[in-house]
Amino acid sequence: MTQFHVETHDGVGVVRPEGRLNMVAARQLKATLADLVEAGTHRIVVDLEATTFIDSSGLGALIGGVKSTRQQGGDLRIARPTEAVVSVLDLTNLSKILRPRDDVAGAFDD
Amino acid sequence: MTDEAVGDGVGELPLREIDDRLVLSVPADESAIELTHELVARLWMRHTHVPDDVRMRYEMGLIEILANVVEHAFAADGSGAADGSGGSGAVGGRRVLVTLAVNPTAAVARLEDNGVPADLDLSQVAMPDEDSESGRGLAMALAALTELTFSRDAGRNTWDLRCDLS
Repeated sequence: MTQFHVETHDGVGVVRPEGRLNMVAARQLKATLADLVEAGTHRIVVDLEATTFIDSSGLGALIGGVKSTRQQGGDLRIARPTEAVVSVLDLTNLSKILRPRDDVAGAFDD
Repeated sequence: MTDEAVGDGVGELPLREIDDRLVLSVPADESAIELTHELVARLWMRHTHVPDDVRMRYEMGLIEILANVVEHAFAADGSGAADGSGGSGAVGGRRVLVTLAVNPTAAVARLEDNGVPADLDLSQVAMPDEDSESGRGLAMALAALTELTFSRDAGRNTWDLRCDLS
């Protein structure tokens, strides 16, 4: 099953889903992101290095996170997506709103 | 599509003629999704020649359609349309039959369920706006697969999926 590691460094939340980001895991991700935003963390990096699969509900959770963080003046960015995730982003035309960053630490450098 | 099925309902995909097909019959709930991922992994172990991009597209299309089936099963319970067999909690006896195979030219799959009739027109499916949080599933399946067809017959929804190997 999918596991989530959550850390906060210098005000930036880092969420790392490990495994498949499908319908079941997407609900956990959505709740995790909502908890972070509610706790005042409005800049979030989702580290996708260990995410082997993503479906439409996983994408929906990420888009929801983009919207809720931006409403608070922050943002959600994704880093280190696997080939499987990149191909889904391309297929769904989401590479703009979810532009992949090369590393977690530098995800908010621009 | 027009369902060309005759006899045992084979349709245009000779799935039941393939000897080493993998079959899973499970309650139409979220547990079906993880089990199907595992079944797909087993399919690739048997068919190591299937290219990575085909594997990705096949699994993506399959899981999106299965998620759609599971959501419809839950919707049926909410409307009190359960068939009375009960027993499996939230899904009220609704089941899905997953059949996977690789033939000489394509990876194919069939999903059959006894859920409420799915009233949909695949030709009307489109990718939603980029800031939409839902409604992307069927569009992704259509984009990922070489062919996707749906038919409703004798109380069963049948989805046929095909992803060509080249």
